[in-house]
Amino acid sequence: MLTITNMEKHYGKIAALKEVSLTIPSGSCYGLVGPNGAGKSTLIKILASIIHDYKGEALINEILLNHDLKEKIGYIPQDICLEEDISAIGNLHFFGKLYGIKGKQLLKRTQEVLRLVGLSERSKDKVNTFSGGMKRRLNIGCALMHQPDLIIMDEPTVGIDPQSRRYIFQMIEDFKNAGCTIIYASHYMEEVEELCDHVAFIDKGEIVENGSVAELLQKYAIPSIYIKGSNITLEVVEKYGTASTKKGGYLLQTNEPLQVMENIILYCRENNIELERLELVQPRLEDVFFTLTGSKLRD
Amino acid sequence: MNAIMIIELKKHIQDKGLLFWMLILPIIFTVLFIAMFTANVDAATKQQVILSIVPGYVVMFVFFIMISMVQVFIKDRDKGMTSRLASTPIPPYFYLLGKWIPFMYIVLVQIIVLFLFGRLVYDVPLGQPFVLLILSICLTFTVTGIGLAMSVIVRTENMGIALTQIVALGGAMLSGLWVPLEMMPDFMQTISRFLPQYWAHQAFQDAMAGNTVFTELLQTLLILFGIGVAGFVIAILRYPHFLKRSVN
Repeated sequence: MLTITNMEKHYGKIAALKEVSLTIPSGSCYGLVGPNGAGKSTLIKILASIIHDYKGEALINEILLNHDLKEKIGYIPQDICLEEDISAIGNLHFFGKLYGIKGKQLLKRTQEVLRLVGLSERSKDKVNTFSGGMKRRLNIGCALMHQPDLIIMDEPTVGIDPQSRRYIFQMIEDFKNAGCTIIYASHYMEEVEELCDHVAFIDKGEIVENGSVAELLQKYAIPSIYIKGSNITLEVVEKYGTASTKKGGYLLQTNEPLQVMENIILYCRENNIELERLELVQPRLEDVFFTLTGSKLRD
Repeated sequence: MNAIMIIELKKHIQDKGLLFWMLILPIIFTVLFIAMFTANVDAATKQQVILSIVPGYVVMFVFFIMISMVQVFIKDRDKGMTSRLASTPIPPYFYLLGKWIPFMYIVLVQIIVLFLFGRLVYDVPLGQPFVLLILSICLTFTVTGIGLAMSVIVRTENMGIALTQIVALGGAMLSGLWVPLEMMPDFMQTISRFLPQYWAHQAFQDAMAGNTVFTELLQTLLILFGIGVAGFVIAILRYPHFLKRSVN
């Protein structure tokens, strides 16, 4: 279990983290979500032991975060940190050696990781010949050489093709099944929703909300109905809840979606209105995000 | 540390630009300047010019390694590799040593090749080869030590290139690498005593002529070694600031 208590970090007068407290259960995939500059990367850098000057404490299984714990943590940075002029195998050897792996164990683990990230066939090729997705996968592989218990992933799917993204998702599922604890920071809400059991929303250096994904969806996201049809006007739709226009139709937010759908069907029958589409829109984590952080531009 | 050293050496060996800057360019300059300064002079003067220019240009050109050092560190910092390595169990001083030592190998090879070139083409004497080797190792340590400190201090690559030019060219001018020291004003001769180039150049000339005085050699080695150590200490102290500027 990872416990973060009253963590604070300032860059000059700017507070990057304000009394952040979180509990991340062992074996869970924990999403860290927030706008740019919210404090996600600062929190991740502290947990990865890159930033040392902060207040508060972080305990991993009751042990205070320290140099020795680095061997239990695998940090996957947002940027691709690979030696471009060296082969995939060379990069994995490099990172393995940094964690003290050597000899036959290094060779064996390198082959395992190459298989894991799907790069066995390109193992001897230089990284500068790889696609973006392959580099991302190797970037992840480098952090897995020492078989960490805690994997910290900072936007691991930025700028890659759908196939590589799907492959990385499968890898994360495998890590979860193997009992690893994962911290997954991302802007992509659908990824967090799909992969994570728990999520913390961070904004302006504070945890504004955290909990299980299902709980947060139930608590914050209002169900919606999408309605499209000729002769249906905004005034009509607004009778049933808060409505807005979307893709030539209307999005109606209501806490009683099934009842409202029935009423709309009845209304359309009585008034000879032809419905083109009427569908229930599932609440998404993105809605929770905007509810908590607002939708105004931050940069 | 060995892992960092090995991967850095691999990268340097593949870098053809480094070969140009460290060997081809100094050889071209040495040939050109010797041809220029010995065009219409007698044999004795020609020999004297060659004996000054060969070690002088060796000392001047080794300082340009600092550009490569700055580039490597700034690239590491900007692409997040410095942070990435900080998340591993490698202590900062191993990171710095791992980056530093491969440059020492390069500079040592550079000095040896340039002296051998002088020997083969201009028949310069290598009177005390062992002393020359010790001096070369010490100069290598000094130059790369200054380069290491500069690499973690400068904010941009351009700043590093500008500072290298000042240190390499300014130092060369003030230390008598271009013109004999005796021809320079007294105050410049005094300034030269504070520069590593002066000590290295004087000691190289003495060792080539076979005139090394042990106490003078020891003094030179201590000065050069001291500057190198100071560079490493500055780099260690400055490393936390360098890490903070790392992107990731």
